[in-house]
Amino acid sequence: MRLVIARCTVDYQGRLAAHLASAVRLIMVKADGCVAIHADGGAYKPLNWMNAPNRIEEGADIWTVTNAKGETLTIVIEELLSDSSIEFGEDPGLVKDGVEAHLQELLAAQPATIVDGLELVRREFPTDIGPVDLLCRDDEGHMVAVEIKRRGEIDGVEQLTRYLDFLNRDPMLRPVSGIFVAQEIKPQARVLAQDRDIACVTVDYDELRGMESNELRLF
Amino acid sequence: MKFRCERDTLFEALSSASRAVSSRSGALAVLSGIKLTLEGDQLTIVGSDLDLTISVSVDVGGDEDGVTVLPSRLLVDIVRALGAGAITLESTDGDMRITAARSEFTVRSYPPDEYPALVEPPTEGISIPASSLTEALRQVVPAASKDDSRPILTGVLLATEGDALRLVATDSYRLSVRDVTESAVLGEDQTVLIPSRALTEVARLLDDEGEVTLGLTERDASFRIGTTTVVTRLIEGEFPNYRGLIPDHHPNRMTVNRLELLDAVRRVRLLAQETTPVRLTMSSDGLDLKAITQDVGEASETIDGIYDGEELTVAFNPEYLIDGTDAASGDEVVLETVDALKPALIRTPEEPGFLYLLMPVRVS
Repeated sequence: MRLVIARCTVDYQGRLAAHLASAVRLIMVKADGCVAIHADGGAYKPLNWMNAPNRIEEGADIWTVTNAKGETLTIVIEELLSDSSIEFGEDPGLVKDGVEAHLQELLAAQPATIVDGLELVRREFPTDIGPVDLLCRDDEGHMVAVEIKRRGEIDGVEQLTRYLDFLNRDPMLRPVSGIFVAQEIKPQARVLAQDRDIACVTVDYDELRGMESNELRLF
Repeated sequence: MKFRCERDTLFEALSSASRAVSSRSGALAVLSGIKLTLEGDQLTIVGSDLDLTISVSVDVGGDEDGVTVLPSRLLVDIVRALGAGAITLESTDGDMRITAARSEFTVRSYPPDEYPALVEPPTEGISIPASSLTEALRQVVPAASKDDSRPILTGVLLATEGDALRLVATDSYRLSVRDVTESAVLGEDQTVLIPSRALTEVARLLDDEGEVTLGLTERDASFRIGTTTVVTRLIEGEFPNYRGLIPDHHPNRMTVNRLELLDAVRRVRLLAQETTPVRLTMSSDGLDLKAITQDVGEASETIDGIYDGEELTVAFNPEYLIDGTDAASGDEVVLETVDALKPALIRTPEEPGFLYLLMPVRVS
């Protein structure tokens, strides 16, 4: 990442023409070639930017950034105030809290929180149309397919229905029943699940993580 | 079918019945309609989503008996838009012509034979004074849960308590109980769980005068209010054992003016943002309310009160505290507490049949 702070003017020529008059600005040149011009205000949106891939021609006082469409960003540097480069390395990407994978991991470790007596057979149990989140066995020894979502909507019920169709073709497994698990299940999804004899269970993510809520409950 | 009716009468009846009409897409299409049945001079208007059915009968000038189902929202909008005076509705070959003064509308109808057969409410039932039920519903229904993931908590429990009819609702954070003494009661050990949504509609229809007749079957409950009947499916399942939740002894009692407390919480709540609780410090000096929201600010207020107990600070969700204080009637409320983590109780000396149990919020 190269960060240049300079008094400059910026002209964009492309689908339209835009001119930024002379002022102090931050010019960010990212490792992938993206160039963004920021003012000292606003949260994240640059005044002007050019997405990669770009070709950057850097003269003594003039930079010309040209993208694949031939659009150009011309930066005339009147006074250079700072110029530094830092190597960031590999970015691990955004990890969202409470993603399905974590829910799946937590429920695989404690399947009895879904239904009493449920035991895990396998996570990501493979079928011809994709893996079922959890394949479990209930206290009577019958197989149970569990589909886990953060938000339980009709699509999730449809997905579990397809898995159940395939799993019930296997004489070693059938009869396989289904449980649709989510932090929140939409009424329409609940109705569809009920119509297909699929049980619905809502789970509290914080509770599964062992986090104590400040909201005390009567029961 | 052909009849004439005053616009205001028809609009009021349609508005009531249409509240039960299904708004969900994908449901049986005809259920987005409102059913009109004319027999002589009696027009019966029915709206339903199969869980809740509202039926209203009105007197009209009938010319020709018949049955039709019309798009609910459109019909209500048309009748609302018409000026006061007489409206004529006449069906012709699957259409309904609506005329009033110099306005004329033609609306396609649904085939009436596609409209599902609905449950007939029982003719007999329990009589409840409308004024008592209105007040009890106002006090209890807001405590029912709005979260469909726990359907049992979205209902209001009706049960017999001594010689009274008891109404109970809880969303697991607070619990509201009200005994209606001036009414005939259910059978011994008989309990029913009625969806709070249906009771909200009942409350909307009630006047302060007259009586409501509550009819029960194995799966449904009906409320007859004058010429309007609300029929709802009962919620199946067992209501939590709430009796064990009510502490038998509260060592701390704070008595304050109800409206002063209500106003103070409403003011202080402005600085209790993003699920921040309001802290109540009770001492012989009175009741201090305080709310602090990080990076926003804080608010505090003191109100006079009579306190019997040890100095104690307890935090509550301000909305639930307002609901409980608002539900209590009378000039004074008594806030009974055990400690900062056990359920507190809001009562009012003027109404022994009401109590509101409220769970505190844990604060550091």
